Amino acid sequence: MRTKLLSLMGLACLYVSAMAAADNSTNVPRHSCCVEAAPPSSHLPGKSLYQLDARWTDDQGKAMPLASLKGRPQIVTMFFAHCQYACPLLVYKIKQVEAALPEEVRSNVCFTLVSFDSERDTPAALRTYRMQHELQGNWRLLHGGPDDVLNLAALLGVKFKQDAEGQFKHSNVITLLNAEGEIVYQEAGLNLATDELAHRIGQMVRH
Amino acid sequence: MISLTWIKAPWAVMFKRRGVITKESAAKKVKTNIVKIFGVVALTAGAHTLWGAQVASNFMDGTEIGGEENALLGKAPNVPPPITRKHPAKVIVNLEVKEITKRLADGVEYNFWTFGGDVPGSFIRIREGDLVEFHLNNNQNNKMPHNIDLHAVTGPGGGAAASFTAPGHSSQFSFTASTPGLYVYHCATAPVGMHVGNGMYGLILVEPKEGLPPVDHEYYVMQGEFYTGGKFGEPGLQSFDEDKAIDERPSYVVFNGAVGSLTGNNALTARVGDRIRLFLGNGGPNLSSSFHVIGTIFDTVYPEGGSAATRHVQTTAVPPGGAAIVEFTATVPGDYALVDHSLFRAFNKGAVGTITVSGPENKAVYSGKQSDNVYTGEPITNVPVVVSATPQNQVEVPNLALNLREQYARGRAVYSQTCFVCHQPSGLGVPGQIPPLAKSDVLMGDTAGVIRGVLQGRSGELTVNGKKYNGIMIPFGNLSDQQIADVLTFARNTWGNSDTNALTSAEVQAARKGAPATLATNPFE
Amino acid sequence: MIWNVRKGRAGRTKEVAWRASALLRPGSKALVLLIASAAMPAWAQNQAPAGMALIPAGVYRPLVRDATEPKEVPVKAFYLDRLPVTVGDYLQFVRANPRWQRSQVQRIFADESYLKDWSGDLEPGTNTATDAPVTYVSWFGAKDFARWKGKRLPSVAEWEHAASASSTRPDGENDPAFKHQVLQWYITPNSSLPGVGTRPANFWGVRDLHGLVWEWVLDFNSVMLTGDSRADSGGLERGLFCGAGSQSAKDAADYPAFMRFGFRTSLEANYCIHNLGFRCAKDL
Repeated sequence: MRTKLLSLMGLACLYVSAMAAADNSTNVPRHSCCVEAAPPSSHLPGKSLYQLDARWTDDQGKAMPLASLKGRPQIVTMFFAHCQYACPLLVYKIKQVEAALPEEVRSNVCFTLVSFDSERDTPAALRTYRMQHELQGNWRLLHGGPDDVLNLAALLGVKFKQDAEGQFKHSNVITLLNAEGEIVYQEAGLNLATDELAHRIGQMVRH
Repeated sequence: MISLTWIKAPWAVMFKRRGVITKESAAKKVKTNIVKIFGVVALTAGAHTLWGAQVASNFMDGTEIGGEENALLGKAPNVPPPITRKHPAKVIVNLEVKEITKRLADGVEYNFWTFGGDVPGSFIRIREGDLVEFHLNNNQNNKMPHNIDLHAVTGPGGGAAASFTAPGHSSQFSFTASTPGLYVYHCATAPVGMHVGNGMYGLILVEPKEGLPPVDHEYYVMQGEFYTGGKFGEPGLQSFDEDKAIDERPSYVVFNGAVGSLTGNNALTARVGDRIRLFLGNGGPNLSSSFHVIGTIFDTVYPEGGSAATRHVQTTAVPPGGAAIVEFTATVPGDYALVDHSLFRAFNKGAVGTITVSGPENKAVYSGKQSDNVYTGEPITNVPVVVSATPQNQVEVPNLALNLREQYARGRAVYSQTCFVCHQPSGLGVPGQIPPLAKSDVLMGDTAGVIRGVLQGRSGELTVNGKKYNGIMIPFGNLSDQQIADVLTFARNTWGNSDTNALTSAEVQAARKGAPATLATNPFE
Repeated sequence: MIWNVRKGRAGRTKEVAWRASALLRPGSKALVLLIASAAMPAWAQNQAPAGMALIPAGVYRPLVRDATEPKEVPVKAFYLDRLPVTVGDYLQFVRANPRWQRSQVQRIFADESYLKDWSGDLEPGTNTATDAPVTYVSWFGAKDFARWKGKRLPSVAEWEHAASASSTRPDGENDPAFKHQVLQWYITPNSSLPGVGTRPANFWGVRDLHGLVWEWVLDFNSVMLTGDSRADSGGLERGLFCGAGSQSAKDAADYPAFMRFGFRTSLEANYCIHNLGFRCAKDL
C-alpha cells in the first residue's frame, strides 16, 4: 500500500512538472513582433546598424526609427514591390525559413523588408504587398527616403541601381542581424535552401 | 547481502509474473537483471572502443583531417620541402599581394604586381585531401583590388569572386584539395590579361597522398611574357603596354620574372648523378612554351602537371595557364641551358636559364671535342638561276675546256640576270633594234671592240650579219672585269657560237683603263 | 532618381543645348560641349562657388552596363571641386564634428584604418602634409563632410563625365596619349602622396582626377560586378543580381576605366584606404 502510494506520488509529480513545462511554453506572450518601439538604447556596439539615424515608416504609416528593431534578431532584405524577377523569390525563401523555424524560435525573430523604391512603395503600397503575400505580424515592411535607402544599402553591402523605367537592379542579399543590430551572417544569391539560415537563427535565439 | 528491498516495489511492478513473488525470488531476479545490464554496458563500451580505434586508424590511414598548420611558402627557384605527414590536415595559407617596382633586366625596371613580392608568386605545397584556409591579403599601399584563381580549387572562379579584395583588406575562403597535381594560380581581376601580364601568377602543388618519388633537387621555374612600351633592353622604368599585349608581341619572355634570373650567379646547381625535378609553369598571358634543357633528355615528364608519366622526352609543351613536371639525371658536368625552344624568345627576349652540373667527367657518355683537322671538301658551285625554260632557250653546255667551263657557268648566270632583257634568252635580239648574239659576226669579231661595247654601251646604226640595227645599248661598266669576261665567254660559246680562246678579266681591265668614259657611238667598230 | 538635381537657369540652357546636339552626328561630342559651354551665360561661370569649376552638361557612356541599359546617359551640368579635399579641409571638419574624430567614430561608419596616418584625433602629424589629399576616409565620412559644406558627392556618371576630359580636349576617350598617361598612373606604386594641384588642370579646370588618388562617388555601389572578371563578362552570375544579370564592359581595351570600375566594386561603405580620397560636387 505504501509502496503503491509512493509510486503514484512519483508519477503524479512527473506528470505535473511535464504539464507545467508545456504550460510554460504555451504561455509565452505572442508579440505581434516589434510593434512596440523599444526605447532607443544609449549604448550600441560600434558595428550596430542601428546607429544609422534614419527615418522609416512602416506599412501602417507609423514612424519607425531603425533602433526600434533592437532587441530581437532580424532577417533583413531590400526589395521593391514591382520586382518581377528576384524579389518574389527572396520573399518566398524567407517565408520558407520562417516555416522551418521551431515555434519558440520563430516567435523571437522578426522579418524586415526595406524597399528601394521611395517613390512608388508608399506605406499604402506596402500594405497591399503585405496582404498579397500574406505576411504575418512578425513581418515589417519599411519605406524610407532615397538618402536613407542609399545609406542602409551601403551598410548592408547591397548593390543597387535604378534604371530609366523605374525598375531597380540590385544584388540579392538576405542579412541576419543580432539583437544589437550587428550583421552576423549574409546569404547572397537565389539558392532556395533554408538550412543554413534557419540553423543560424536558431543558434542566435537560443543564446 | 545488500538489501534490495527499497527497489523491490518498482521492479516487482516491472517484472510482475503470475504466481507468488517471494522476497528471495524478487531479489534474485533483480541481481540477474543487474548482471544482464552490466553485460550490455560492457559490450557497448567494448564496441565503442573498437569503433574509436577504427576511427583512429582512419585518421592514421589519411582519410580524416588531423591537425592544423601554416603552409610554408617557397620563393622561386626554391620550393618548400616534401610533405612527410601521412594524413590530410588543415593548412592555413597567407598570401600577400604587393605592387612593387624592381628589376626586369639590367638597367630596366618594371612596375610588377606580385603574389608575395616576387614573380612568380610564392610556391604553395600541400597534400591531397588538405583543407586549405586561404587568406588573400592586399597590401594597403597597393592601388588595385586583386583576387586569386587557383586551378587546384573546384568551385566558382577557382576562388576569384570569394577572394576579391580592396587594398588594405584581407579575404578568406576555404577549399579542399581533393585532386593531386601541379596547378597554376593567378589573379583574375579585370582586366585579367593586365594583372597576369604584370606578373600575378604562381604554382600550387597538391602532392598525391603517396608522395612523389624522392629526388636530389627540386626547383621552381615559371615562364611569362612582359609587354613593355620600350624594346627589349631599353633602359629605364618600363610599364605595361596594352596594345602589344593585345597583339601578342612581347618585348620580354623570361623565366622567373626577369632576364638572368637563372643565369650567372643565379644558375641552378647540381652534381653529377643527381636526380633533378623541375616544377614548371607558364603564366603567359599569351604564349605557349616549348621547354627544353639543352644537352639532356627528360627521363620522366608529367605533362600538364597531371598524373600520367611519359618517359624519354626532349621538349615538352607548357601552355599558358598550365604546368608540367620534368625529371632528369645529371650525367655529365657542364652548363646546361634551360630554354623555350622558340629560339628567338630564348636568345633575343630572355627565355634562357642555366643549370650548372659539377663533378667528374664521363667520356663514354660525352667526350667533348676530340680533334680538330683541316678539311676542304669539293668547291661549291652556286647553281645559277635560269629565267625561263622554253625549249628554244634551252642552253646546251658545250664541250669546253675545263678552264672555260667555270667561266661559262658564271657567265650564264650574268647573262640570265642582265643581258637577256634585250638580247633575249634565245640570243636572237629584236629585229631592227637589238642585234642578235647568236652566230653574230660582230660578237665573234674583234674582242677588244666587243669588250669596249659592253663597258661603254653604244648608240647609232650597227650592222650585224648583214642586217641593220638601230638602238641604244647602255653601258655595263658596273659589272666587274671577271663578270664581263665570263658573260662574253658564255655568249661566244652559245647559240651555235664557238670560241675556244680564253677571255680573261685582265683583258677587260686593260680595256677599261684605255676606254674613254663617255658613250662612244660605235665602239664595236 | 535617388537624388534630385535642381535645374537652374544654366541647367536648362544646358539641357536645350544637349538635346539639340542629339541631332548632330555621333562623334561630335567635342563640338557639342564646346557649343554648350560657349552658349552658357557668363554669369553661370562666375557664379561657381569658390574652388569649384562648372562641368557642362554632356553624355556619359557607361563602361559597364547590361543589354537593357542605354549606351549613353545624359549628365546635367554641375559644379565640381577643382581639387580633392585636403587633410587641412578634413581637419576643420573633424574639429567641428567630434563624432568623426578617430577615437570616437563608430565602426559601421569607418573601419579600423580610419585616418590611420594621422598622429591623433586632431593632429594630422608630420608625415601628412595639410595640402595632401585626405585619404583613409570612408564613404560615410566623405558624405558627411560634403553635407557639412553644403555640397554632396558626385555620382559615377558625373565623375566619369568630368574625368573624361584631357587637358586639351573634352573628349579624352578619343585621345590615346591621354589614356596611356592615365594607365601609367594606375600601375605605378606610390606610398607617399604629393600635395594637390601640382599637375595641369583638365579641360574644365579640374585637377588631379587622375594621377593622385582614387575618389569616392555617391553611388559607388551601383555597379553589379562580382570581382571575378570571367564570370562578369560571361554573364554567369545571374543568381546574384536581380535584373538582366551582371553587367559587362563595353570596351575591353579601356583599361583605365576597367580598373576604376573594378576598384569601386571592391569597396564597402566603411572602408578607409590609403589611395582613396574624395572631392565634392554641387548642383547649379
